[in-house]
Amino acid sequence: MSSKLREIITAKDRDKRDTSLEAICEALSFEELVAECESLDRFRRESDNLYERVRALFFLYAIHRFYLPAKLEGMSTEGATISFDAYAHLLERRFAEALDHFLSDQASVGHSDAISSALAKSYYELALQDLADQVQSSVRAVRGNQWMFRTGALEDYPLHVRPELLQCKDGAFPVIHERTAVRMDLSHSAWSDIFFLGMDFPSGARVLNISVDLAVHGRDTHPRPPVEALFRVIDQPVIRIASVDLGVSAEITELGDVFNFAKDYLGLLKAALIASGIVPMGLEGSGQCLSVLLEMLVGPGCGFELISCVNDIPKGSRLAVSTNLLGGLIAVCMRATGQTRSLDGPLGEDERRITAARAILGEWLGGSGGGWQDSGGVWPGIKLIEGCSAQEGDPEHGISRGRLLPQHTLLGMDVISSEIRDRLRDSLVLVHGGMAQNVGPILEMVTEKYLLRSVESWEARQESMRLFDAILGALQAGDIQLLGKLTTENFFGPLQKIIPWATTFFTERLIDAVKAKFEDDFWGFWMLGGMSGGGMGFIFEPSRKEEALMRMKVIMADLKGQLQHSLPFAMDPVVYDFSINEAGSSAELLKGDAALMSPGYYGMTLPLLLREDPRTLSQERRAEMARFQRKADSDRSYDQVRDKLLTNLFPRLLSGDFAESSLDHLLKANGFDPLLHERIQEDMRRGLIGLSKNRLAASSQVQDVGPDDVAIKTTAEDEALGRDALVNGEVAVVTLAAGAASRWTEGAGVVKALHPFCKFDGRHRTFLEVHLAKTRSAGSAHGTLPLHVITTSYLTDGPIRGFLESVDHYGMSESVSLSRGRSIGLRMVPMARDLRFEWEEMPQQRLDERAQKMRASLRQALLGWASETGEGTDYRNNLPLQCLHPVGHWYEVPNLLLNGTLADLLSQRPQLKSLMLHNIDTVGANVDAAMLGYHRRTNAALTFEVIQRRLEDRGGGLARVNGSLRLVEGLAMPREEDEFKLTYYNSNTCWIDIDQMLTSFGLTRADLGDAAKVAQAIREFSRRLPTYITLKEVKKRWGHGQEDIFPVAQFERLWGDMTALSDVPCSYVAVPRLRGQQLKEQAQLDGWLRDGSRDFTASLCEW
Amino acid sequence: MGIRKAVITAAGERQRHLPLQTMVDGQGRNRKVLGLLADEVTSAGIEAIAIVVRPGAAELYRDAVDDVSAEITFIEQKEPRGYGHAVLSAADYVKDDSFLLMVSDHVYVSDDPNEETCAHQLVRIAEEEDCVVSSVQSTHEGRLSNFGAVGGTLFDASRDLYEVNSVSEKPTPTEAEQSLMTPGLRHGFYLTFFGMHVLQPSVMSLLEEGARALGPNDQLDLSSALQKLTKRGRYLAQVMKGRRYDLDFRHGLLIGQLAVSLSGQYRDEVLSMITDLLARNVQRDSGNQPVI
Repeated sequence: MSSKLREIITAKDRDKRDTSLEAICEALSFEELVAECESLDRFRRESDNLYERVRALFFLYAIHRFYLPAKLEGMSTEGATISFDAYAHLLERRFAEALDHFLSDQASVGHSDAISSALAKSYYELALQDLADQVQSSVRAVRGNQWMFRTGALEDYPLHVRPELLQCKDGAFPVIHERTAVRMDLSHSAWSDIFFLGMDFPSGARVLNISVDLAVHGRDTHPRPPVEALFRVIDQPVIRIASVDLGVSAEITELGDVFNFAKDYLGLLKAALIASGIVPMGLEGSGQCLSVLLEMLVGPGCGFELISCVNDIPKGSRLAVSTNLLGGLIAVCMRATGQTRSLDGPLGEDERRITAARAILGEWLGGSGGGWQDSGGVWPGIKLIEGCSAQEGDPEHGISRGRLLPQHTLLGMDVISSEIRDRLRDSLVLVHGGMAQNVGPILEMVTEKYLLRSVESWEARQESMRLFDAILGALQAGDIQLLGKLTTENFFGPLQKIIPWATTFFTERLIDAVKAKFEDDFWGFWMLGGMSGGGMGFIFEPSRKEEALMRMKVIMADLKGQLQHSLPFAMDPVVYDFSINEAGSSAELLKGDAALMSPGYYGMTLPLLLREDPRTLSQERRAEMARFQRKADSDRSYDQVRDKLLTNLFPRLLSGDFAESSLDHLLKANGFDPLLHERIQEDMRRGLIGLSKNRLAASSQVQDVGPDDVAIKTTAEDEALGRDALVNGEVAVVTLAAGAASRWTEGAGVVKALHPFCKFDGRHRTFLEVHLAKTRSAGSAHGTLPLHVITTSYLTDGPIRGFLESVDHYGMSESVSLSRGRSIGLRMVPMARDLRFEWEEMPQQRLDERAQKMRASLRQALLGWASETGEGTDYRNNLPLQCLHPVGHWYEVPNLLLNGTLADLLSQRPQLKSLMLHNIDTVGANVDAAMLGYHRRTNAALTFEVIQRRLEDRGGGLARVNGSLRLVEGLAMPREEDEFKLTYYNSNTCWIDIDQMLTSFGLTRADLGDAAKVAQAIREFSRRLPTYITLKEVKKRWGHGQEDIFPVAQFERLWGDMTALSDVPCSYVAVPRLRGQQLKEQAQLDGWLRDGSRDFTASLCEW
Repeated sequence: MGIRKAVITAAGERQRHLPLQTMVDGQGRNRKVLGLLADEVTSAGIEAIAIVVRPGAAELYRDAVDDVSAEITFIEQKEPRGYGHAVLSAADYVKDDSFLLMVSDHVYVSDDPNEETCAHQLVRIAEEEDCVVSSVQSTHEGRLSNFGAVGGTLFDASRDLYEVNSVSEKPTPTEAEQSLMTPGLRHGFYLTFFGMHVLQPSVMSLLEEGARALGPNDQLDLSSALQKLTKRGRYLAQVMKGRRYDLDFRHGLLIGQLAVSLSGQYRDEVLSMITDLLARNVQRDSGNQPVI
């Protein structure tokens, strides 16, 4: 049978090749889809062409993720579990082996949702791996980079520092001072600078890139090149590197340390040393001696110093600061070692290109990556950067349509006059909104949508290309107002059609506020970089720019204040002054008295030198201090350094960073139990509890459930029963909203319930609003509005309470109440053995080679941190709210009893019999009549909703443990592979029979007024449940938008363990994924939107 | 084109003593390095040799070449302005003739099965092709910083000839990969100068242009003029059947001497002495007493 999809992939005709997958798949039957999958799988194995192979892989991913599951509903799932062995292949990045295994399972047990999910993941990862491998291979193949991979022995080491830099005069070695601009992309041409896209679709890859100097408005006097790199020879056989902005320096004496990127904050400088060829890539792991290398490079007894400085420009500016810093560092190292023609002045075009190629290499080494336009700051002024076709002789020829490196065409003053450049400067306000978000998932989505040619996104890309021409035309014509109109159109049109997540609630509120303030004088919005919320541009009528500079900061600060609990802000918003940089990366050779490093360097290093005995300082150091003194006396720009120097001379109180008293106050105010904490701490230190002890006994037999253990379908009788109960007001909803959303914002500590995560009915809605809208809808359908309780904690109570008041409880103030948690924990520094258990014993996704090395290096550093800080001690060195933790959702139900919420509900509705408890992120769960009826009919105390497991559903499931039916947490699985035997995963939506639950606690409705009795009953009961030690990642913010993530230990008790108690009757019902799916990570959102889950949720809501 | 003239540069600061070092030639005779080089030159049929020296140094060198059959002329380089400038000093001597150019701190050993010397190989090709030819050898990228290097395409595989399209003086591997890659060589290897060229008189006008553009402290190199030559006509590079030894390297004289001796008639005698020396050295390192 001929394959339609295969024909699309191999079509010579461009229009046919651009046919979207959905156009074909929506019309195919199950059998036809299966046949297409078989044909595509054969094709991807046979094809020699990278892009045909990758497109086939993406097609296969999409069919298994979006099209086959819909056709599988109602089909038997017997035996359709995911093989652990195949999963292990996946974790080890043996994607091809994993695929073979999953396909063989599919051939034996038939198609299933579970195996399709595993296949989808495997195809997706293999496709991305193929693309990443190709980029890496192209980077290595760039002429000028290849030798660095071949130099495996110091005998072959070819570089020498230029003789001019070795001429030490009056104790001063000359300094090369490289200054580099950052870049902004005036067009935002739909992420077309992604390597994969540029290499497959060079004619569609175009950006309008401008090099700019920056100043923080109100702080700095004038814009200057934000990136500085300095190099000099020193009279010690070491490599000294320092980051002035981060205040960190290191002396490297071992070659291996150059490759240890995560050991300190100096990974970027180390990457530059390698990517510039000073320490060639081929020497990694060679065990050779750094001093020998330095002797060959600089001469006997000498080394060199390399420092970086970005003048406190905040991280996440979307101006590619780090790539251009890498470019500047590489350029200065190349100059020093004779790899450029000149020691000073601007770089030549060929030198810029090799610098850019090496910056890509450096980013790959550091496990990061951006787009090909990011090193645009190395070039001067305004330039058109375009993908170009691979020609014969190019390393990419025959592999991809385009080259890895694009072509830069400088648009000189004859094309865009200085007067137009001034006009742009006079209208544009650049800002950093304060949000710092991971754009990695967005770039993957762009690649995927491009390769699938999704109709909407492909049309949007064409539209964006048309807008690009219009933007370029408007700039050439000097029509800045039109330019603003076009960039706004781009943002609200094609960009959001391609990636709906490019916008945020904050961005849209900000644009509205600016529009309201400046009305017609606000000419347009312009998104910088991967997504909005960080670096952004606002274009104004020139006469109002000064006012806009002032107002923007106030507007942004005000909005941040309103949204700081909902969205992850990394820093206070910033407004920049900018000017176009017409030099690109350019250097100056500083000699004699001028041979000084940057002023900030001395603020950092001199306090240390001043504490040393002057007689122990080298002659060069003493001479340098004298030069600094003369310079500081005569140069006003050194005034700030003198102040900083004075500040740094005095010791600082270590604990002053974070308000400890505030933490103690919070602990006291939130029912912290110091005795319980000390007991847990002691048990953890002694090894009585810990990650390995979370597990059930190794002798436990874990088996999958049988067909009679789970109800697959509810009946019409169930629905009628449930409907009656709803009409009668016998059910209330309990939404768990106490958590800190660790995974959702990667430890940023915001309130997930208040995160405006997706647009419904034309605007962003929070999780909370969605849940209340479902309850409202249920109320409308049955004539009685169910009561709705939101459980909160120390972290979420104030913000949720304030938010609900600000929206007037969405008109549901009578039925909505909050149940504030009465338990709190203090996080602890983890035990090294728990960290090792998590990293070494638990299955882990192996990363790409470089990222894996970065992770290993980072983990070593974190182990060092745990042991230096004190394993098992209190975690206090962060913002107070980041040091506390909720103690697990088991406590949320007892809290209803302890804080009187249940008593209030029962007094309001004495007929209340059931509660529907659900997670904040289970957005498809509603008070469904059939589910409620089923729960009633089974007469169980608790009815749990389970969903059929997919690959991504990790964390336990429904099992028979030693013959008993129960939910088992992932933490408690005696063996990792046991989890993979289980068909069902816990959605954590639970129907509770109030009276039976009270009976289990040894209480009755009448006892709820007796606080002491309730407290005693709960304390007694809690002893029957296990305490888990878990590791959570928390962010610690510092500097200008810098973030560190620390794993910290905390304890939890979980509601699912109620099912292990024999005297609590439980039942289980399988629900569709649309209902039971939990949204744990923002990267899930796109798939959730595309597989129909968003529309399903919307259908349950009444706004 | 008949090539009858040669220019040997010996005016550099580092060439003050090396050309006057005594070595033992392949026939076991004591010879000055400059004499060995003059022998190499005359083996190619050259009849007249100009030696470029620093002012007042001609007498120092005269003895070293007094037994050479060719006509010897000493030319003084008025000021030390680089290698290109030394070559330019011979412009009046060269006039309109092509000439063989050599440095004075190398010795050459031929590997040619017909025992054709290196200079002879080069001159023969230059005469056959009637163009500029540089002798080259394949060199690992780790040693590029010692040499001038060329990039090009294969011209005649049977004669190991390449057409040169770029020249660079002491390139880094970064530059070499971008502009000096030559098809047919192993990865990481480049064609570097052997210290021997046959040049046409047009090079002098290029050097003159370069000299006029020099700043007060600048040096005039030859590679820039050779780079310009690539645009002016055919310029070939010939991979020598032979080896060259730069006497200016650490142990350069020792290695050069060994190479010359091992290619001469007393090869076995020298080998046996080296073997004995090695054996004693190994015994000393291992702590054993000598057997003899």
